[in-house]
Amino acid sequence: MRKLLFVSLVFCLSLVVSAPVFAAEGTLKIGAPQPMTGPDAPFGDKFKKAYSLAVEEINAAGGVNGRKIEVIIEDHQAKNALAATVAEKLITQEKVLILTGGRASGQAVEIASVAQRLKTPYLVDHPSADIITAKGFEWVFRNNPTGSIYPQAFNKFISEVPGAMPKSAAVLYDNTVFGKSIANSAMTFLKSRNVKIVNDEAYAVNTLDFKPIMTKVKANNPDFVLMVAVSTTDAILLTRHAKEMGLRPRAFVGFGGGFGVEDFAKQLGGLSENVFSSAAWSGNPNDPTVKKFYATFYKKYGIHPKEHEVEGYAGIYIIADAMKRAKPTGNLAADREAIRQALLKTDMTTVFGKVKFGDWAGPLGDKYTNQNIFSPDHSVLAQWRGGKLLNVWPKANAETNYVFPEPSTK
Amino acid sequence: MTAAMETLIQSLVNGVLTGSLYAMIGVGLTVIFGVMRIINLAHGEMVMLGMFSAYWSYTLWKIDSFLSAIVWVPLFFLAGMLAYRYLVRAIMPGGELNTLLYTAGMSLLIANVALFAWTGDYRTLNLPYAVEPLHPFGIAVPVPLAIAFGLAALITAALYVFLARTDTGRAVRATSQNPEAAALMGINVERIAMITFGLGTALAAAAGVLLVPSLYLYPTVGEILVVKCFVIVVLGGLGSIPGAIAGGILLGVIESFGAVYVSVAYKDTIGFIMFLLVLLFRPQGLFGAARS
Amino acid sequence: MKRVLPVIAALLLLAIPLGVSNQFLLHLGITVLMWTILGLAWNLLGGYAGQVSFGHATFFGIGAYTTMILYLSFRLAPWYGMALGGVLGALFSLPIGLICFRLRGPYFSLATLAVAEIIRLVALNWESLTNGPVGLLITSLPQVTVFGAAINWERKEPFFVIVAVLALCAMLAAYLFTRSRLGSYLTAIREDEDAAEAIGIDTTRSKVTVLALSAFLTGLAGGFYGLYFRYVDPDAVFLISLSVEMVFIAVVGGLRTIAGPVVGAIFLTTIAELFRERFMVGHLIFYGLFMMLVIRFLPEGIWGRALRILTGRR
Repeated sequence: MRKLLFVSLVFCLSLVVSAPVFAAEGTLKIGAPQPMTGPDAPFGDKFKKAYSLAVEEINAAGGVNGRKIEVIIEDHQAKNALAATVAEKLITQEKVLILTGGRASGQAVEIASVAQRLKTPYLVDHPSADIITAKGFEWVFRNNPTGSIYPQAFNKFISEVPGAMPKSAAVLYDNTVFGKSIANSAMTFLKSRNVKIVNDEAYAVNTLDFKPIMTKVKANNPDFVLMVAVSTTDAILLTRHAKEMGLRPRAFVGFGGGFGVEDFAKQLGGLSENVFSSAAWSGNPNDPTVKKFYATFYKKYGIHPKEHEVEGYAGIYIIADAMKRAKPTGNLAADREAIRQALLKTDMTTVFGKVKFGDWAGPLGDKYTNQNIFSPDHSVLAQWRGGKLLNVWPKANAETNYVFPEPSTK
Repeated sequence: MTAAMETLIQSLVNGVLTGSLYAMIGVGLTVIFGVMRIINLAHGEMVMLGMFSAYWSYTLWKIDSFLSAIVWVPLFFLAGMLAYRYLVRAIMPGGELNTLLYTAGMSLLIANVALFAWTGDYRTLNLPYAVEPLHPFGIAVPVPLAIAFGLAALITAALYVFLARTDTGRAVRATSQNPEAAALMGINVERIAMITFGLGTALAAAAGVLLVPSLYLYPTVGEILVVKCFVIVVLGGLGSIPGAIAGGILLGVIESFGAVYVSVAYKDTIGFIMFLLVLLFRPQGLFGAARS
Repeated sequence: MKRVLPVIAALLLLAIPLGVSNQFLLHLGITVLMWTILGLAWNLLGGYAGQVSFGHATFFGIGAYTTMILYLSFRLAPWYGMALGGVLGALFSLPIGLICFRLRGPYFSLATLAVAEIIRLVALNWESLTNGPVGLLITSLPQVTVFGAAINWERKEPFFVIVAVLALCAMLAAYLFTRSRLGSYLTAIREDEDAAEAIGIDTTRSKVTVLALSAFLTGLAGGFYGLYFRYVDPDAVFLISLSVEMVFIAVVGGLRTIAGPVVGAIFLTTIAELFRERFMVGHLIFYGLFMMLVIRFLPEGIWGRALRILTGRR
């Protein structure tokens, strides 16, 4: 036994010392820190799929100025310090031209900070904390809407649909950057319309039991229940426990995160029916190119792409476009600067929608730098219907008619 | 019934139901600690494996997840004994700290093998007969929790009979109270330790089976359970089985009332403050006197 | 010779940035040195005094937040903030020690864990002070000139020198501690607390003192974390896993040795890095296995075993 264990120790050390796998020579490298292990691993996997598809397509179509592109993913385990470490590694060791990815906001802030210092462009494809593009980092660009923009489609819905303005609302959000910024934005708007907030509750991520919270909410009998969850598991339990405790609001509204992934409906089944989600959209579903992308993605992976996959996929196209215009020469520092300059001039349409980076003020007064100026159009209110998340508002991007108020309401 | 009254009773019911599951997780940990004086940090992973076992039984072989416990619990008992014999025993002389870190390494290993094998996807198990909660007296009682509560009570009773009535059970208790004296009385402490580790593992797996229809599962779910475990076990007194049960239910009730009447954000803080107070003023646990 | 060797080693360490310009290697070096300080600090309490704490992230977090808050709100340069972070960590350790040292063995460990969790939750919810889950971000560091040259904070070299000096100070402190009267008191306490008390050692006072020293070093390292990573949030600096990692460094390296935490930090940091590079999704499997094997076959730690072989004792 002792020998066996010793042999395995030697074996695992020798694996480490053996030759590493070298990346293909001459490719244009893109670095992507993502959580590939730990509780966020499913999200890392979504982005990996999206990146692979985009890279395959771009390379099959001749690459960028004849050169192939490559995405190098490094696992940050959803830990901030590790996110900084792998970002450093991608920049200094792997010598990538640009970074993307990040997944959660805490890690993305760390990556942005490193990218800014080491003068490497970073295209944020999904992390939503306002702080990332609100600190004047000129090397950081963001295609997706910020957290405080997420509720805007919902705000439009309640303002524009007759009788939809809530009489009162319970707001439940996880105690993270994501939860905080979205809840603040939503509550600021509701308060400005004199909607009474009957519950304002921050819960810890991975709460095992929401029944107590829902019991408390039920006692206040809110007209709307608003829920923010960065983690899919929280979104699932929030909804399940709310319904089990017999909450009957006119609408359950989630804001992206766990409320916007396919798992939500897959795991909840019928309980997910008619739950709203106001968040970053997954592209305009009525656009033929977007439809084609959905079909291709589904054919390859058997998954209907949502927010994350669309954002990841679109991000690679934005980068490829900037690289094409920057015409990399092989001088790393000059190429990175050229790509940054190219990104500043980006003006294109991806499956995620129009993109052009600019400096402007967010809904809560944050001063954004290099934030996609079309972001406010990329917030959409969708509703879970028969296991599918279908856009319902604004009308221009709607796939179907909304169901409101919830038919089961007393 | 007034609305305030309803809220109160509902909170109590929620607390007790969830607490019974906490108790199940805590019991396994406390049994192992009682006999071996080791805090098993891989306990959460044992629960996770129990959850996955029940999940696969249901999805692959269409066996009711609760029913599958009949197969899994004995299997985990065996696995636990083997794990002790071939993995843990050799570490014991290294002292408490080493054993603890060893189990931490084990926890990392198990969780990540599971991640490798089953991916990190979140899964839930929805039993067809358990979608709509029961409504006795206007109080909502989720069906899977109610069944789990009943089974937890049954398993606890069985454990009690085993410890009180069988020779092996008595030997386990004797070793837990005083290993040296037990050895002198002719008890094979080594064998008892092995059985205890098996027992603890089986209880963890049983907790996993009961938990899975009410919760969700993914490979690293163990880490969110294990800290709760400590609180429970200390509330009841380290090594005390009745204590762990009472501690689990108490924590469930504290959290439930804390969330409703104090603050959701500070609900966990209340649990930890209780924990600290108990440690300081009743380190033998709130129910130390009731120790068997 | 025995006195010259450490000095040479120290000078060599400080000279590393002159020879190594690879920024990523320096980054790894900085990480190793930061972990070294943490391992050393934990070892004082957990190794020499035998008081196993699972709550050292508290002092780390306090150090990190002190540095950040003082700089962001009062423009106090982070190096002063770092020192104050250490002091504040030590101050905080006093009440914590007085409470937790009423307990022994695993009960003490669990109490430190509870305190750490309570403080993490407070940091998360006390938004006016800590900015809550959004965290605190520094975008630039103040201009400093040394010998007429402005320090370039975008390079790793200055950070390497800072953390190397801190690590050397921590090692010196640990060395002096082992030779001090307090050190021998604590050895006595570790061996048999009741006997130590019986011969007139004020056990609580000794333990509280060493905790304060340990907390000071941990707070210092926390301050350095803030300065170097420039972003803190409660989950990054107050998490239990951070406390557990400190324990690992000390145990894998070798309890009750000065060089142990250095060896532990080097091993765990590089091994983690290498496994990650090699195995992608499976890397933590091997990391877990590695830890199990080390504890199984080298229960006295890597350096502990090496020392035994070097000194010829078996």
